[in-house]
Amino acid sequence: MRTRLKDVIESLVFVSLEPLNLEKIKNICTEFSNIEIEQAIQELLESYASNDRGIQIIQAAGGFLFSTKSESDQWIRRLLSLEQKGKLSHAALETLATVAYHQPVTLAEISALRGVDASHSLKSLLRKNLVKITGRKKSPGRPLIYRTTDKFLTYFGLNNIKDLPSEEEILKILDEEKILD
Amino acid sequence: MEEAKDYQVNLEVFQGPLDLLLFLIRKKKIDIHDIPIATITREYLAFLTQKEKINLEREGEFLLIAALLIYIKSQMLLPRESELEDEEDPRKILVDRLLDFQKIKAASTLLSEKEDQQTKLWKRSAPPSLPTTEDAELVEVSLFELAEAFLSLMKRKEQENIRLIHGKEFSLEEKMKELIDRLKEHGFLDFLEYFNSQESFEEALISFFCLLELIKAHIAIAVQDSLFHSIKVWPKQGARP
Repeated sequence: MRTRLKDVIESLVFVSLEPLNLEKIKNICTEFSNIEIEQAIQELLESYASNDRGIQIIQAAGGFLFSTKSESDQWIRRLLSLEQKGKLSHAALETLATVAYHQPVTLAEISALRGVDASHSLKSLLRKNLVKITGRKKSPGRPLIYRTTDKFLTYFGLNNIKDLPSEEEILKILDEEKILD
Repeated sequence: MEEAKDYQVNLEVFQGPLDLLLFLIRKKKIDIHDIPIATITREYLAFLTQKEKINLEREGEFLLIAALLIYIKSQMLLPRESELEDEEDPRKILVDRLLDFQKIKAASTLLSEKEDQQTKLWKRSAPPSLPTTEDAELVEVSLFELAEAFLSLMKRKEQENIRLIHGKEFSLEEKMKELIDRLKEHGFLDFLEYFNSQESFEEALISFFCLLELIKAHIAIAVQDSLFHSIKVWPKQGARP
């Protein structure tokens, strides 16, 4: 019975476009108890973790999804005739980091923190669906409020917004830079 | 001044004035909490004057920080009756901003590392092909797309020859009722078709407001077969699965 459930969950992850979360799996596999489902997921993860395959199951944005392994990257790009995968610009990354660590945040606040006008990079992040508008601030001018999206989490391989590099990690980087100087 | 020139760095390489300041502070191995404001202001201004012309639109922010530096410098030069307390250090605004910015910069380095790792992992980005029944791949459309469709329609209407001016007034409530009735009766409503059937610009406008209200109140939902296709409006309850 349990092996079958494991297969079912594997298939669900395979077909699902977005990271498939536990809640969804439970809603779909109504015939099984929560414990059975959690056990089956555990087994599935273990069998993939046995390092016997080219595909892995990763957790991002609170759900499970398949991904290739980094070692295969160059051959995949050859298949797709891709020189390099497009990456975010320096300014976009900085704006994104500002939103991620200061959200909910307004454009004026982002610009003040970065010391430059961030409207351009913010627009491109909106277009890429990495940040979203979540409302307006109850302050003069009622400026729009921005937050990061689930796609942001998936893009950076984060399971949860709490998985963002912590304050300590950031301070460590700063220390290292000081030593380099 | 000479020193800054030695470096031969353009303003373009900096992500804004705070970035430049941090660079100068590091170069001088200065403690960020105890910036010799006169020195750093001199260095900073030297950097700006390196450029023959300042593009106000792109580099105005550099001038803003220059003004802040000069302001702080002047504050520090002013004689005071009593010793400054730590809290009142005029450099504090600058230091706080620099510390915040430094963190963001470090965070964006970390994110960039993560991005490097993640771009090597390939994930599915297209859905498995679904059976192609007529409206199998409905996408929920945003209000922006709805507004865009409405505008394109109104543009078309505008080009038609307008002959007379209607004096009729439309009330929101009436229109709202009409819309709901229509949704109940037909089960759905073709956005473009519906607005095309409206007699005047005002009527169409009022209907559009009603529609937005309905969607906002979660009474109706707008879906689209695929991009650039007509938008359909469904009542939310008992709508499609």
